[in-house]
Amino acid sequence: MLSPVIEVEALTKAYRSKVAVSDLTVTVHPGRVTGFLGPNGSGKTTTMRCVLGLARPTSGTTRVLGRPYRELAHPMRRVGALIDPRARHPGRTAAAHLLALAQSNGLPASRVDDVLDQVGLGEVAHDRVRGFSLGMGQRLGIAAALLGDPDVLLLDEPVNGLDPEGIRWVRELLRDLADEGRTVLVSSHLMSEMEDTADHLVVLGRGRLLADVPMADLLGAHSAVRVRSPQAPLLAAALQRAGATIELQIDGSLRVEGLDPDQVGDVAYLAGVRVHELTPVTASLETAYLTLTGDEVEYRTAAR
Amino acid sequence: MSRGVPFSAVLRSEWTRLSSLRSTWWATAVFVVVVGAAGALAAAGTDTAERAEVAVQTALIGFGFGQLALLVIGVLAVTAELASGSALATLVAVPRRTRLLLARTVVVAAWCLLLGIALAAACLLAARTLTAVPGGVDPTDPEVLRTLGLQVGAAALVGVLGVGLGAVLRSTAGAVGLGTALVFVLPPVLALSGPRWAERLSAALPMLRVGQDAFFSVPTSWPVGMGVVAAWAAGAWVVGAVLHERRDV
Repeated sequence: MLSPVIEVEALTKAYRSKVAVSDLTVTVHPGRVTGFLGPNGSGKTTTMRCVLGLARPTSGTTRVLGRPYRELAHPMRRVGALIDPRARHPGRTAAAHLLALAQSNGLPASRVDDVLDQVGLGEVAHDRVRGFSLGMGQRLGIAAALLGDPDVLLLDEPVNGLDPEGIRWVRELLRDLADEGRTVLVSSHLMSEMEDTADHLVVLGRGRLLADVPMADLLGAHSAVRVRSPQAPLLAAALQRAGATIELQIDGSLRVEGLDPDQVGDVAYLAGVRVHELTPVTASLETAYLTLTGDEVEYRTAAR
Repeated sequence: MSRGVPFSAVLRSEWTRLSSLRSTWWATAVFVVVVGAAGALAAAGTDTAERAEVAVQTALIGFGFGQLALLVIGVLAVTAELASGSALATLVAVPRRTRLLLARTVVVAAWCLLLGIALAAACLLAARTLTAVPGGVDPTDPEVLRTLGLQVGAAALVGVLGVGLGAVLRSTAGAVGLGTALVFVLPPVLALSGPRWAERLSAALPMLRVGQDAFFSVPTSWPVGMGVVAAWAAGAWVVGAVLHERRDV
């Protein structure tokens, strides 16, 4: 595996009233989309702000491309970031906002038109951003992140406020960027947004690391086999002997965890049990995520 | 480690930021109109003056009010960024914060200097044409040049003071309010209030009308007046830079 591009080591960030991130150690690698997941208030944005030098860690260190972010010589050529879609002055035009950013890193002014076209804001380039919708703000923020054609991208909730077309566009963009070998870290509080995009997941809850796993593993860990048999008790006993965990479902079927469908079929055959249905059940990522974060939600709705 | 982006690139981007805000142009227009009109009126209302520099000083009266516009330009260069959240994008692009603030300050000071020179020249012209002085108003007269130079220099320093106060207080209202009190309200109020300590304090405040005629304030010699303005600007800027470097955004 290539060496990590973003390194967070024992990061703790405490604000006056609460600890936002607590002893977080995590690395982000190139060539894949890393989903940064967690409920609202779990510390995703704080972590990203620390990585980008916008907030000072209480303790611990963060590095990008091997050094603290503030020491990068041409930050925008190495790292593109979207932290807040409102990070722009309402009185400036989209083009002026981007031009100032481009100039500050010695990038040619032509990049401004390039990225505005790329994100679909070419026609409103000279409008003041005051009138921009949240979705347009996101596009402008993504344009700013892409200005320097960076190898590393950190995007905080980039699809928030986008329409379905925009969401698909962001997904494809992230996919393409990762396929080009770039490092992509994208945060979200919605698992469904990650399902088709991320290759790897880092899950936070209340400022702590809950999981740092490949997407496939997370899915695998929560998948099961549904099996229906007229001789369910016999089958259940055989499966348990094979090491599976069995749960009797309300319709009389068995939910089997710990064995894959092939193994379940083999066990049934050896036990001489008739099987009427054998279905792999892939947990939705949402379920896996909720299982993982169930106890770590900061702002829970009142009991339903 | 390579030095990275040249400082001139950061300057260019800060000029783009300053010049792409409408408030900059409003404040500039206010400064030009106030200082220009006050200069013309003052010169027209002064039929004769004994010495050239007195005629010029009279024509420069508008700087006393107009400086508030320069203060606002300096404050907004910092606080408008913070209030809008645009500082996030800026600091991701230029994470070396003191370098960023320095570039911003240079741009603001240069703009104030330019405006000061243009308006000082206009006021000089008004004094030359509208006020009768024995021997005329010679623009190369060292006394005249010094009088003009003090106003122009102090105008740039007020811009720097605005940047510094903006960085310290991070609030437009707070920084403009405090700045106005320092350069405009408190010096004459203290000077008129009477007690000896109040007069001393008044002389230690950064009044833009530096020098002998201190715009209702306590007159000091011009090097002292200029030194006081410069010290306030530098002090506010340094405190602002330290806080700017350390604070979370």
